[in-house]
Amino acid sequence: MTRNKSDPESLLPLRPSVFHILLALSDGDLHGYGIMQEVAEHTGGQIKLGPGTLYGAIKRLLSDRLIVEADERPDPELDDERRRYYRLTDFGQRVLKAEVRRISKMVAVAQGKRLIPKPRN
Amino acid sequence: MFKAEKFFQVLLLAYPRQFRREYEREMVTVFRDCYRATEPRFRALGASAFWAHIFLDLVQTVPKEHFEDFGRKNLFMKNLKKDVLALIGCAAIIIFALLLLTYGRKHEVSSILIFGYALDAMVTAGVAGNLIVFLLVKITRFNPLRIAFWTFLIVNAVPAVVLAIISSRLSPASRPGATVIGYAVSFVFWLGIHWMWAQWQNGERLAPSNGQ
Repeated sequence: MTRNKSDPESLLPLRPSVFHILLALSDGDLHGYGIMQEVAEHTGGQIKLGPGTLYGAIKRLLSDRLIVEADERPDPELDDERRRYYRLTDFGQRVLKAEVRRISKMVAVAQGKRLIPKPRN
Repeated sequence: MFKAEKFFQVLLLAYPRQFRREYEREMVTVFRDCYRATEPRFRALGASAFWAHIFLDLVQTVPKEHFEDFGRKNLFMKNLKKDVLALIGCAAIIIFALLLLTYGRKHEVSSILIFGYALDAMVTAGVAGNLIVFLLVKITRFNPLRIAFWTFLIVNAVPAVVLAIISSRLSPASRPGATVIGYAVSFVFWLGIHWMWAQWQNGERLAPSNGQ
């Protein structure tokens, strides 16, 4: 089966590290350490990306055009200018949304089987 | 801190060169940030947990990056295959010419012996010229066809002139004109082979590849 790289669905399911990196970038541009911190924060410290995992994933995300290197720095005065910032592309956003929908469906199935409680409205 | 950073840089040598070139500086910056953030907790098991995390990350990601790098290098292997094919082709032509000449001499086939001068030149210039062309194409970035032109011009012209002068002085029975014509034929032959090879390579480069 060939992967059509312009179709978000063809890139699913995402690896956990990739999913969390995209999720971290959905709020705005971040540099490598910023991504690490964001991921550790929103996973409650469960996922701690190492430098190799982080930049390996970044390399693949750049080549798949899910992220790009951002030109401008959010805070040039406070920051080390050698740092590279990364930004989610439109395609990256579509892939992230598709993955979230996929996970939501899985969650709905789990709720249907009463493995987890349904959220109260 | 400085020692830890240097040690981490040494560890990074385990990654493929291309990956290091692209991300080494950033990885070191990230390492520095992580180290600074974790350093206050280095008493007790903090330091060992930090380094265990770094090593585990290295062990998990180095093979993956090398595997991907190897996939990229497959292109180099494909080109190497073509080069080997070209060398085998040249060797086959030379062997065929030698066999033909040997047959001609053994059975005194005059039509082949007339071409003996050309065959001798083709073998001599072919072995030396193709080796030089192969090395120059690998070492330099000049146009391969241009390299072939100048190489075969030199490896054919020099022995043609030298042999024509020497043989006419040493043996009155020698035919300097035939020697020169032989090397001229050899030049045209080898340049023709390289021209065809260049056309084929260009055709392959321009042809749309499947699945892209």
